[in-house]
Amino acid sequence: MANLKDIQRQIKSVSNTQKTTRAMKLVSTAKLRRAEELARRSRLYADKMNQVIAEIAGRIKCSKIGGIDNRCFAEIENPKMVDIVFVTADKGLCGGFNIQTIKAVKKLIKEYKDKNVKVRLRGIGKKGVEFFKYNEVELFDSVVDLSSKPEKVRADDFIATSIEDYKDGKIDGLHIIYNGFKNMMTQELHVSKILPVDTEQFECGETQSSMLEIEAQDEEHMLDSLVNRYVEYAMYYALIDSVAAEHSSRMQAMDTATNNAKDMVKGLKVKFNKARQAAITTELIEIISGVESMK
Amino acid sequence: MDKLKLEILTPNGLIFDGEAVSVTLPGEEGEFGVLAHHSSLSTLLEAGVIDIEKEDKSVESILINWGVVNVDEEKAIVLVEGAVAIRGETESAIASALEEAKELISSIADSNPAIAHATARIESAAQRLI
Repeated sequence: MANLKDIQRQIKSVSNTQKTTRAMKLVSTAKLRRAEELARRSRLYADKMNQVIAEIAGRIKCSKIGGIDNRCFAEIENPKMVDIVFVTADKGLCGGFNIQTIKAVKKLIKEYKDKNVKVRLRGIGKKGVEFFKYNEVELFDSVVDLSSKPEKVRADDFIATSIEDYKDGKIDGLHIIYNGFKNMMTQELHVSKILPVDTEQFECGETQSSMLEIEAQDEEHMLDSLVNRYVEYAMYYALIDSVAAEHSSRMQAMDTATNNAKDMVKGLKVKFNKARQAAITTELIEIISGVESMK
Repeated sequence: MDKLKLEILTPNGLIFDGEAVSVTLPGEEGEFGVLAHHSSLSTLLEAGVIDIEKEDKSVESILINWGVVNVDEEKAIVLVEGAVAIRGETESAIASALEEAKELISSIADSNPAIAHATARIESAAQRLI
């Protein structure tokens, strides 16, 4: 019976797929562990960095009339153009990971368009870049192999354009959108406004009595230098967090796929056995009726 | 002798966490040393070598390309961008650390006079270890 062979072929094909998805899951699990560890270690740096910036910015904000004299900390009233940097994966097969980021990007672009603000889109990651190219949304620039292998130096180079343009007044804001790692099961979408830095969060700390006096000019120079690093680091962290999230998302997607394949094989096996039984029964009836007719 | 707590962090994690007798840092306006109970201070660091003198008088050198230090009475926290610790158990480990350090140095623009100084310093730090 041809039907039997068809089912058998189907079973084989599905179990091959299952093997692939299981292997992909295992690979992602291993990679996830490494990526997560890197992100975790890196978070320490972020905490201290924020602490130092908050301390210095807070001190300047409170001690000087007119607040901080730096464009990165200024409130810009009528923004004309903003930069949106998004991070997606270079590869697919990771559930809704990329599409979530893309949706958030589209939403933010629309928000700005409604306010008559021009958007300069900068993309990292093949999937997102391809999507916007296909939909004929203009990208200012893009890199495609950075999100799978985050490198500090390349991340710095990429974001440097935005920092410079911001300081020169060419753009009035910078957002980074990426899908970050929350835990093994969930990813968390981050739409963060990097520039201008929100000064509301800086409180006037009590100046310690033993605090060494730093010249105000010096402090501002220090803050200027720090803010560059702060933005560069925000970019780098977005990349490593995104990698961790990508692997966790893929791990989950592949796990689901493996389970689905398993269920499918099970169903097909039942179908196969039924068909085989039917074939045997038919054959038996044929023999018996043949014998009957001989009598 | 009193010791101070020292933490050195890079974007890729903590590279030094421990106690030191004194630490010499390449400040933007010149090298300076920090002992325990130093008064509070935050300042920028430029490319150079951080020398950490530990309790057993051994000195550990770490090359950095940029940093910021926050000192208070109990501890010093150094945030750096790129760092290479010049240490190792074997000669080959030291040699490879040295190579890495040189690479880091060459990645920084060589207009800075501090670089030449840093190069000389790492050479001597490695010599000391060997």
